[in-house]
Amino acid sequence: MTWPRILLAALLLVVGLAAAAMLFSRSRSRPEPPVEPAGTPAPTPVPAAIVLFFPGNDLLLHRERRLLPELPAATPRCAAVVLEELLAGSQEGWASPFTWPATLDAVFVTAQGNVVADISPPPAGHIQGTATELGLVYAAVNSVVASCPGVARVQLLFGGRQIEGFGHLDLSRPLAPRPDLVAP
Amino acid sequence: MYPARRIRPPRGGGSVSTMLPRVFATLLLLAVAATAAAVTVVTPARTAEVFSRADLVDLLELLRLAGAEVEFAAAAGSYTARGGGREVQFTPGGSLAVVDGRLQPLPGPIRLLEGRAVGNQAVAAALLAPLGWEIAGSVPTGLSLTPAGNAAVVALSVVLEDGATVVVASGPAMLPRPRPVPSGLMLVYQGAIRLAAPVTPQGGLQDASVDGNALTLTVAPGWEVTASYPLEEPQRFVVRLGSSVPAGAAAMPRVGPLVVIDPGHGGEDRGAVGAGGVLEKTVTLAVARLVADRLRAVGLEVRLTREGDETVPLRERTALANRLRADAFLSIHANASPARGARGAETYYMSADASDPQAAAAAERENAPADNGTLGLILWDLAHVANLNASAQLAREIQDRLNVVHGIANRGVKQAPFVVLTGATMPAALVEIGFLSHPEEGQLVSQPDTQARIADALAAAVVAFLRGASAASAGAQP
Repeated sequence: MTWPRILLAALLLVVGLAAAAMLFSRSRSRPEPPVEPAGTPAPTPVPAAIVLFFPGNDLLLHRERRLLPELPAATPRCAAVVLEELLAGSQEGWASPFTWPATLDAVFVTAQGNVVADISPPPAGHIQGTATELGLVYAAVNSVVASCPGVARVQLLFGGRQIEGFGHLDLSRPLAPRPDLVAP
Repeated sequence: MYPARRIRPPRGGGSVSTMLPRVFATLLLLAVAATAAAVTVVTPARTAEVFSRADLVDLLELLRLAGAEVEFAAAAGSYTARGGGREVQFTPGGSLAVVDGRLQPLPGPIRLLEGRAVGNQAVAAALLAPLGWEIAGSVPTGLSLTPAGNAAVVALSVVLEDGATVVVASGPAMLPRPRPVPSGLMLVYQGAIRLAAPVTPQGGLQDASVDGNALTLTVAPGWEVTASYPLEEPQRFVVRLGSSVPAGAAAMPRVGPLVVIDPGHGGEDRGAVGAGGVLEKTVTLAVARLVADRLRAVGLEVRLTREGDETVPLRERTALANRLRADAFLSIHANASPARGARGAETYYMSADASDPQAAAAAERENAPADNGTLGLILWDLAHVANLNASAQLAREIQDRLNVVHGIANRGVKQAPFVVLTGATMPAALVEIGFLSHPEEGQLVSQPDTQARIADALAAAVVAFLRGASAASAGAQP
């Protein structure tokens, strides 16, 4: 066997070993696909109405009722559905409280029954004025509390972090809804 | 007889015999790299290789090695790890976990990398600790997982703000009792504790050490503990460090009422930006100075929370007023809204919703001595509720006068849980003097003559309020 042939054989061996190692490594440590817990019964879809709140030119929040084909009973999923509907915007022409392309990243429920929603953060300096802040925060808080039974307070996180606020409102804790900000 | 070996001439960059070793070496490196992206983790039961990249390690694998059951909830996008009767919930992309239903900050973010939830060792330690496990070693050298002792794990998060360092101690179900020590502050827990991860010096925090049930936070030279207070949901203890109090900021004996005026925003926080680039921070400072001049002219003592274009954290603003034991606190802002037609002044006082134990705890730090606990909270709560009515009166005095200045219908006095209001322990109001976002009003409030008229109104309102408060106080005397 000539020297080049020996090298070629060694090369092929190494390539084979490397490929096998990579395949083995991936198959061994690949995360299991996220699945719902086994045995969870499939819920029966039940049409439900939710109430969303959008800021108006009068700086008050305006109700928009929306019928959904299904509203999950579980609080985190209910809150997630409501907030996704709010993020999607008004169907009646009201301004969106989220004035940046916000996304809902996570929803938790604390032991006290408060909803904690994590929303992608606005650009720096984007939220200006107490009127804007009030419209943004209480559109979310009022919508979740009005639509998801059992929820009394909502805390908003931005970018996965608890923040003090955007300069005015204290966002470091769960907030109760504000009916006084809603248009009659 | 074998034929004579032919010597091939070199082709291109080199012969096969010279290229193959290079290719061989390259492929060998690739193979090593592919298999080396793992860290060895030793547990009492087994040894395993766990996916890692740089200082990040697969958190789900670690949790499973610790015997935790890990589930994924697609609806919430979060993982739940259960073990030892406890539960930790977390979401890739976030820096928070829910431990036994209570929100807890993590020392770093959880990231998604190649389809895996990964985090650094400190994050892993924070997730494993509630499940009764501790992690040692390092990535990529090797890690070990061992069942933790009975000591409660305290996770320290350090947040650096402008001029302040905020240390948040979380983890144990019980709250510590703070005790001032020469080096800083000692947090005394009811049982033995240990730190989830070593603490590196940051900002005003020089060191954190544990001795039995005591956690000592050593403050860096030139810094001091400006506040310490508990927070709920989740249960945490917050220690705020700031630069040593500037001369004159401490409470001084005085003969007359003292008013603290807070020009909103400032420094890096420019606030709203109006038509023509008018900055809220500039307008508020100008108006605040005019108000201060007018109040001093009638014999009142006045302090501004900022004298120039500087960044002052919100809680520091009320902390100053609380330290000075001011008789009134007025925060001046200019509003903005996407609704371009919005105009007029609005005055806020503390939301009744904020008058709860959480708000009390948040503001208790400013007034009560650090270790008088429950009594301090009760006294603060009583004082704060009493201040609600006085704050409402202050807000009404302001709003009535600003309605005249703007010549528009009354927008009314409102309540909101604004940071500078929930932290104040005296009658306090936040006034939005007008909408910078309104094309006309935005221009008006940036003009000196309008600012002077607004300052006249605000100063008159404060004087009227203090006179009314003084008269009421005198009337209440036996």
